[in-house]
Amino acid sequence: MTTTTAPPQARPLRTALLLGGALLALGTAVLLSLAVGSKSTPPGQVWAALTGTADPYTATVVASRYPRTVLGVVAGAALALSGLLMQSVTRNPLADPGLLGVNAGAMAAVVTATALLGPASTAAAVWWALPGALLAGLVAYAVGGRESSGATVRLVLAGAVVSAVLTAYVQAVALSMPEVFDHYRFWVVGSLAGRGFDVIAAVLPFVAVGALLAVLLAGGLNALALGEETAASLGAHPALVRSGGLAAATLLAAGATAAAGPIAFVGLAVPHVVRALAGGDVRRQLPLALLAGPALLLLSDVVGRFLLRPAELMVGVVTAFVGAPFLFAAVRRMRSAP
Amino acid sequence: MRRPPQPVLRVGSAVALPLHPRSLLWALLLAAALLATAVATLGLGRLGIPPGALADALTGDATPAQEFVLHRLRGPRLATAVGTGAALGLAGALFQSVTRNPLGSPDVIGLNWGASAGAALVALALPGAVPVPLGALAGAVGAVLLVTTVTGTGLRHPGRLVVAGIGVAAMAASFTQFVVSALARDQASVLAAYVNGTLSARSWEHALTIWLVVALASPLLAALARPVALNEMGDELADGLGARAASTRTAAIAVSVVLSAAAVSVAGPIAFVSLTAPQIARRLTRACGPNLAVSALTGALVLAVADLAVQHLPLADGLPVGIATLAVGGVYLGFLLVREWRRGVL
Repeated sequence: MTTTTAPPQARPLRTALLLGGALLALGTAVLLSLAVGSKSTPPGQVWAALTGTADPYTATVVASRYPRTVLGVVAGAALALSGLLMQSVTRNPLADPGLLGVNAGAMAAVVTATALLGPASTAAAVWWALPGALLAGLVAYAVGGRESSGATVRLVLAGAVVSAVLTAYVQAVALSMPEVFDHYRFWVVGSLAGRGFDVIAAVLPFVAVGALLAVLLAGGLNALALGEETAASLGAHPALVRSGGLAAATLLAAGATAAAGPIAFVGLAVPHVVRALAGGDVRRQLPLALLAGPALLLLSDVVGRFLLRPAELMVGVVTAFVGAPFLFAAVRRMRSAP
Repeated sequence: MRRPPQPVLRVGSAVALPLHPRSLLWALLLAAALLATAVATLGLGRLGIPPGALADALTGDATPAQEFVLHRLRGPRLATAVGTGAALGLAGALFQSVTRNPLGSPDVIGLNWGASAGAALVALALPGAVPVPLGALAGAVGAVLLVTTVTGTGLRHPGRLVVAGIGVAAMAASFTQFVVSALARDQASVLAAYVNGTLSARSWEHALTIWLVVALASPLLAALARPVALNEMGDELADGLGARAASTRTAAIAVSVVLSAAAVSVAGPIAFVSLTAPQIARRLTRACGPNLAVSALTGALVLAVADLAVQHLPLADGLPVGIATLAVGGVYLGFLLVREWRRGVL
């Protein structure tokens, strides 16, 4: 059970406005993602293509942007939810699947499988990505976790170490087997380009299960935010909520990474924005994050396509640049005594 | 209990240098190991010059093939590795000493990646117009300024420093990716040079650059060694002993930034040598202060051995050396973190 008196910032009108705004942002991002490319399509024609009244050429061009747009929505939502869950469970504002090495773990496992067994289907890759993500997260948590005074920094540092070592491993394997790893950069920096609907279909079940778990756990996470003992006395099972939250976060991060490669900072930035707008209630944060994550990832992807036209920049590069200021903002709020 | 007085090297009546026998011993051992690594680097493999023939080859009595290996293939690469390793070790020793924090190292706080971003921008956007080391220097200065601004507490708070550094490193690395993708499309080797750090295909020009910077920095380092060691005891005590803590810190950071930028401009952002070399040196010598000479030798040895490994180990064959130092140094950083936390330092 959670509290019944709503805090002032949780008024229904405000929530509706926020959701509407997020929906609008996502809609704009989707339209832009369908419109912008090496040859951009005017929004009117995108709309015509969507409603089936465009000329065949435009329709084909816009249709070619469907998969990456859908992937952006799925991966963005997964990463944002994963970050939200991690930050709630660890009560650490710096938790992010990218920063904690979870994405790098998923990638390392996929790369290992690809190196050993040859280029596998994405469906198989997700099954590899899961244990990799889980293991990397556990290592980071074992080295740097534990509830204590300096835990915020420790977890991030441990994650940085795990990321560094695993990234070096991924780079080493990808560089030394060029025949297996056709486009090397995808394995090191995440990208939405060149993935088909089959890839999205393969990861969608994992992301859906993760998202469902997140929704089921929202109330428990609210209770957990009040502290272990209070949560237990409110009827929540702290251990269950925590392990369920981390399992969901791992599913989401592994799914996103198997499809799009390691993308950092989306899981860090979105929960920060969402918390600032919607307050501390996880049940209000979830739907907002579900909309804001895809919007951020798609807009970053659009920027990446725009900057280097006719070539494009991988979305992971853009999100690092967009997301780092959120890390800085969190740094400013760290207690000044170590 | 009185400890025996520290031995002092006296030259006439004007010069009296304190001697630390353990440091001296380790410096000699490290130098010997470095020499052995150098001989192995030049001697191993199909094109290697056997150690017996090395002396002749060096004195000018080389066959054309040996001449080629010595002056085009491996000689410059080895000289660059040793110089870069020494510069990174020195930069790390100064920075760690000044921040009184093993994690306050140029590669942990994003300085090397900033330098790399500057170098990539200058080299690819304005080829020939601006020297690459200047671009690296500008990038390194930018990274340090960004980190100090972002933390809001300067370089004092270790936790803030490190987390801000991770962010700055991510931004600089993604900026570098952007520049390389925009200007040198799909050149994996160019990317490796600016994102990982590599020593392959270095020329005497690279070796000369880094050695010149190290040589020019040496007198400054000699002058800074004592005040920086005093600084480790705290600003007030250092001020009281006449070491002027604030200006010492500024000077040490400036020298460290220049050394890092020079290293990055010839070899890219090679990770974790700045972090590990001073730590290893400190454990070997058990001396207080920045251990500059031993740190430089350790850095040179670490990088030379890593470069030898990526040239000859079966699986690592041909990888950028920065990937090897990232992997090994990352594991070491993990151990360092666990140890520091047990002691409750961080």
